Parts: sequence; structure tokens; C-alpha cells
Amino acid sequence: MGKLKGKTAIVGIGEVPTGRYHERAAIVCAIESCRQAILDAGIKKDEIDFIIPTGSMYSSPYNTEMCTSRIVEELGLARKSTANFQVFSGGSSTGNILKTAAGLIATGLAKNVLCVHSDKLATGISAQGGIDLFSTAGISAEWEVPFGMHYSAIAALTMQRFMFETGTTAEQLASVCVSNRKWAELNPNAMHRKPITVEEVMASKMLSEPLHAKESNMLADGGSAFIITSAERARDLTDKPVYLLGEGSLVTHHVFSQDTDLTRLGFVEAGQAAYKEAGLTPEDMDIAELYDSYAVYQLIALEALGLCGRGESGEYVQSGHTWPGGELPMTTNGGMLSQGHTGAGGSFAILVETVRQLMGKAGERQVPGARFAIETSTGGTYMDSHAAIFGNIIP
Amino acid sequence: MDTSTKPLPSVNSWTKPFWQGVREEKLMIQKCTECGQPIFYPRMCCPFCFSDQIEWMEASGRGRIYTYTIVRSNAPSSFIADMPFVIAVVRLEEGVQMLSNIVDCEPTAVYCEMPVEVTFEKLSDEFTLPKFRPAQA
Repeated sequence: MGKLKGKTAIVGIGEVPTGRYHERAAIVCAIESCRQAILDAGIKKDEIDFIIPTGSMYSSPYNTEMCTSRIVEELGLARKSTANFQVFSGGSSTGNILKTAAGLIATGLAKNVLCVHSDKLATGISAQGGIDLFSTAGISAEWEVPFGMHYSAIAALTMQRFMFETGTTAEQLASVCVSNRKWAELNPNAMHRKPITVEEVMASKMLSEPLHAKESNMLADGGSAFIITSAERARDLTDKPVYLLGEGSLVTHHVFSQDTDLTRLGFVEAGQAAYKEAGLTPEDMDIAELYDSYAVYQLIALEALGLCGRGESGEYVQSGHTWPGGELPMTTNGGMLSQGHTGAGGSFAILVETVRQLMGKAGERQVPGARFAIETSTGGTYMDSHAAIFGNIIP
Repeated sequence: MDTSTKPLPSVNSWTKPFWQGVREEKLMIQKCTECGQPIFYPRMCCPFCFSDQIEWMEASGRGRIYTYTIVRSNAPSSFIADMPFVIAVVRLEEGVQMLSNIVDCEPTAVYCEMPVEVTFEKLSDEFTLPKFRPAQA
């Protein structure tokens, strides 16, 4: 038995729709998501003893409010909660929050931890402001910014080498967007729900070759939250706790151009650690909730996590195996390519969706009989790779 | 490239010999005197053996393209006028990697594992950037 296997569980989730909402403040998304998560868990709000807000990127003052306990006070938890602090590592924030919260609970330091994210990347900043924000955030000001580096280029550089080494085709990469969109069509919280074809993706504007506009995430406003507690408390609260069974991660670089294997990143090591702790194998996974700020990262994860053979992920997705009704449903909320990119919230939304599926609350897109799911996240310039395995039973 | 509005490198105290080197059209990397490993980008101590006994050496300037992209749209503001341009990760013969631009050739002629060599582009009186071009036979 590993250090964390089956010791903690997620018992409540909350989420507001993702999209462009000029009139909706980020704090509204945060409070609404927290309230939903608390009601979903059926827990008394005063039992929340730790609050972990992750980082918000659109506004430094708002981020500071979250760091300085605004949520605690808004929820009426002042003089009740023990601690409020930020855990933030960009897109991999949920991976690190899981480690932090589960570790605190397993050692008895925390009882019920509320984790929350909200951001306003669609309407809180201008379009060029978004490009400029993401041409500096986490990109080395000494070694990369002077060469015009930005996130589309980072994804394109990754795609180019992945295609070179694995033989994956442009059409196969485009088919990842189709798979995600098929799920988003069934997700009322997603930003983009109209059906899309490989031809439409291929015909969309070329950003940095070989990356098309429709293979990129869409910046969005949104928020979500979840509550994690001990396995014992979880069984009191619900008949379907979603247990954390295993997790693993690896930091591979800070400066993007220093990574020595862009075609795998750290997902091989992250996956091996997670499977080992859970005592499960890739074949046991009913769902793959894979982080997708760009299409290529889902293919990298499919292969590095052993869900597909090397060089086989593109054809696998193209053949429809990851679609609704397929043998390995993937990124079932539509991911950042369809639900939208809310900063650290991209991985929050994917984690919340993992839990939703395993709780059996995914509505039209529910994967029947799902027991085990593997979830991934990666942050900054894909500096770290996180994998976590959840189950509604402890194997 | 229009150099007047470009972001200038934010230099660390111990990396100054690199920036002085490129100003003199020399590509300087580090080498650990204890374990012998070449090091880039410049560090305060060896990332392999943790020694602080690091010396500077001039790199061959030759390498291969690990990966690349042609930026055609949505570049950062100060690079919009330069599109299309090529960003690449170059693996030097010494084994270290660096980000740069590929110049002096058609962007569509670039490919993975293409042999390249360093060339220098002056950005300002203070800064020159190391760029790469197809290796001359």
C-alpha cells in the first residue's frame, strides 16, 4: 500500500460555465463554485478547515485577494478555518494541490480541504494582451523571450518533434480536436459546442507551423472547486466517494529549450509512479482525462502513460476510440480545446470532470460503469508532468 | 528584423561573459572543471556534480535542429513585423541545447536534424543574439 492510496477522497465539486462573460466577476465564479462544491458534498460549510485557492492570472490584485483569505471571509469561515494559502504552478496546479491536500489530510493536519480556482482570461484582458501575457509567463526572459518565444510556438515545437519521431500526421493531430469537441457537444458548461471536422481544423489559420488555430486552447472566463477529505469522512458523506488511488509527477525543465525529450516530457515516470501506487495498469483505466492545452499533449500522454503504443495514439484517436461510446473515453468535458482555457482552471476543470464521471453525475456524457480514471496536468512551459489515478472503489 | 522595439535579455550577474562573448561574435558556454560536462545556459554551479569550479569555453557553433516552428500568426507584439520567422531548439555538438532563430534561408527549407552553424545578429550596442543558419559545406 502506498503512502496515499485510498486514504483521501473527493466528495464535492462545483463549476460555473466557461466562456466570455463581461459582466461576471471572477469572485462570483469562485464563490458560486465553492458553494456548489459544499452543497454537493453535503458537508456543513463550517467544517471546511483548509482553503487552497490556486493562482489567478488576469489580475494581480484579485490574485492577492485570494491569497489573503477573501474566500474564507466570503463563505463565513473567519475564525473557523485554520489556513488559507495558495498552491500554484500554472496548468499543473491541481497536481500539486492534490499532493498538498491529500498529504495534509493523511497526516491529520487538515480535515476538509476546499480547493478553488477562478480567472477571467477572456474578458479580463485584451486579445493581444493575452498573447503578450503568454509570451512572458514562465518563458525565460534571458534565453527565450528575445527570440520571439510564446505559447503557440512552444506547442508547435513540441508537435514538430513528436511528428518527426512518431510519424503522427497533421490529420491525426486535428482529429484530437474532433474527439474533444464530440464530448463538449454534451457538456453544458463548455464554451464551444458546435460539431467540428478534421477538415475545418486543417483549414483554420496557421499560427506557428504545424499548429492550427483550432488546435489551440481558447482563453476563457470560468471557475471551479472541489472538496477533498479523509476516506472515512467521505464514506459518511456519500455512497460514492472518489478515492485518490495513486499519483506521480516529474519536473523536467524550467527553460523550455532545455527539455531533452519533448515527445514524452515526464509522463512516463509520472504514470509509472501512479500505476504502482494504485496497483493498477493502463488496461484498468476506464477513462483518460488528459490535459489538453494543445492537442499534442493528449497524444504525448496517451503514449507515455502506456494507454497506446509509441506512434499509435494518432491513429487511435482518429479511429474514434476516444469518442463518446469509444473504448477509452478521453477528456470528457471537451478540455481546454473546447471547454476553454481559464489558466490554472484548465486542469481544475479536468479534475472536476474526472470526479464527476466517477460519481456518476456526468449526465448525457456519463461513461457507463466507469470505475477507474487517470488524470493528467502539466504547468508552465510543460515543465512538469503529473498523473493521478482515481477510483470509486479501492482495488 | 526590426530591432528597435525588441525585448532585451534580462541578464543575470554570472551570465555576463556569455553576453560579452556574443557581442564579440563568440558563442561562449561553460564547462565544469571537476566533471568535465559542458553547461548551457550558464549556471552558478554545475548542474551535474554541483561543483562551483566552472570555466568558460568557446563552443564550436555547430549543431543540429532538434525541433523548429515557422511563426506565421499571433506572434508577441514586437515580433509581428518579422513574420514569418523560424524559432528552433538547437543541439550543439557539445551536447547542450539552446533556443534561437534560424536565419539566412527560406523558412520552409528548415527540417528536424538539419545541420546549422551560429551567426550573430546585433540587437543594440549592448546586445547581440546568437542565431543559426544552415551549415556551410
